[in-house]
Amino acid sequence: MGRKSKLKGLLGGSESNNDNIALDNNVAINVEHVTMEFKITKDKIDTLKEYVIRTIKRNKKEKEKIRVLDDITFKVYRGDKVGILGFNGAGKSTLLKILAGIYEPTSGKIQINGKVAPLLELSAGFDKNYSGKNNIYLNGAFLSMDKEFLDERYDEIVEFSELGEYINYPVKNYSSGMRAKLGFSIATLVEPDILIVDEILSVGDIKFRKKSSEKINQLMSEGVTVLLVSHSINQVRKICDKCIWIDNGKIVMEGEANEVCDAYVSNANNDKKKKKKKK
Amino acid sequence: MFDTFSEKKFLLKELVKRNLTSKYKDSVLGILWSFFNPLLTMLVFTAIFSMLFGRNIENYPVYYLAGRLVFDFYNHGTKGAMNSIRRNANLLKKIYVPKNMFAISAVCYEFVNFLISFIILFAVMIITGATFHITLIYSVIPLMFLVILIFGVGLILAVCNTYFSDIGYLYNVFTLVLLYASAMFYPIEVVPAKVQIIFTLNPVYCAMSCFRQCVYGVVPDWSMILYLAAFALTALGIGILLFNIYEKKLALEL
Repeated sequence: MGRKSKLKGLLGGSESNNDNIALDNNVAINVEHVTMEFKITKDKIDTLKEYVIRTIKRNKKEKEKIRVLDDITFKVYRGDKVGILGFNGAGKSTLLKILAGIYEPTSGKIQINGKVAPLLELSAGFDKNYSGKNNIYLNGAFLSMDKEFLDERYDEIVEFSELGEYINYPVKNYSSGMRAKLGFSIATLVEPDILIVDEILSVGDIKFRKKSSEKINQLMSEGVTVLLVSHSINQVRKICDKCIWIDNGKIVMEGEANEVCDAYVSNANNDKKKKKKKK
Repeated sequence: MFDTFSEKKFLLKELVKRNLTSKYKDSVLGILWSFFNPLLTMLVFTAIFSMLFGRNIENYPVYYLAGRLVFDFYNHGTKGAMNSIRRNANLLKKIYVPKNMFAISAVCYEFVNFLISFIILFAVMIITGATFHITLIYSVIPLMFLVILIFGVGLILAVCNTYFSDIGYLYNVFTLVLLYASAMFYPIEVVPAKVQIIFTLNPVYCAMSCFRQCVYGVVPDWSMILYLAAFALTALGIGILLFNIYEKKLALEL
């Protein structure tokens, strides 16, 4: 057993992806010159045979690099509620995924100060054959909670999810609404310092929608830092006090929420008018 | 995320549990198949090969099972780790989970299976009237290095298979060769002496043969164990290095 734990130590030791060196205590997220490129080939080489043949023939297709984020730099201070605006494909979700640790940026540095709770995908970790009960533990494990914590909060999760009896049935028999409710109940259990949200997740029926948005508001109100991506300008105006507007992977504007929102909306309207004129 | 050891341990436990429950989920006998599977193939092989090699091998059922346990553990362990990243692609693209946990959990799960199948070995030993030698204690040493070897090879394969999906198919053929090059179901003596030297270069054969020696009451061959240890530790070193370099980039390849 000792050997195994040593092995895990070796493997685990190198993954401290966010080393906190000399970071101002008031800064929650520090993003410095982050660039993200995806390699895209029209016909992706993912078999060895093709790779070898193309290497020999020397016609390895030039890989097209798509720059999704281009030299992004910003700071988020503790307690800030920052909205990220941008049209589809601007790079918002990629940015959130980098902050959540799913992707490693091509270049640049990210420092994060505090416990992050990414509310990006709520039912990604479900095992369909597991009962709701087992899924609570499995999903909790994926979200970096430990057993004691889950044992303590188990009743709370079941109650919030409104599943009652059904918690002992396999998830494959759940309706999509039930699944979403359970996922939401687990994911929002955390007590994070930094909350990363991709679109406010209001799931389930009217009753649960109200409850879930209350829960999110409660999470956000407790002095946590919030990073919110949303296409609902009203929501951003209501929740955020600062905004970042990203277009084509670059920061277009950064500042006070209402100002940026106004500029963003007028830009969107202008675009529409231009297109109409062209027609 | 995943800073404390208890969080990682819990994740590992949950992953192993998921593997255990999902494997036999629709079968009536469930986990019992872990017993029946090797037992039934043992009966088949015993029926066939006792006739062929019956005189050369003392207690063929035990000889076969001891080899089979080691080979199955290696085979399934490395393949489980190899496929672990691709199999969980959906998850890894959506939430952050240390990727090595999937590879480690796959090997741990096979290790549990390996321990379960020991019960069969012991049961067959009792039924066939084989004596339990004190040398059985020594078997911990080759098995320990076998575990290290599997971790190492598994990590290397996990990275390679994520970049090139056909590594998986190639490896399937390779393990078939390895099966025949491990003298699992026949005595090594049927192979010409010159070829036997090649066999000793196969680390799985080394682990298997040392383990068998322990079961049959012989002190294991230390030179073989030394070779196995060197091979296993090198593989683990390369595996950890490779995995650490590519871990962050794996999500982009999925």
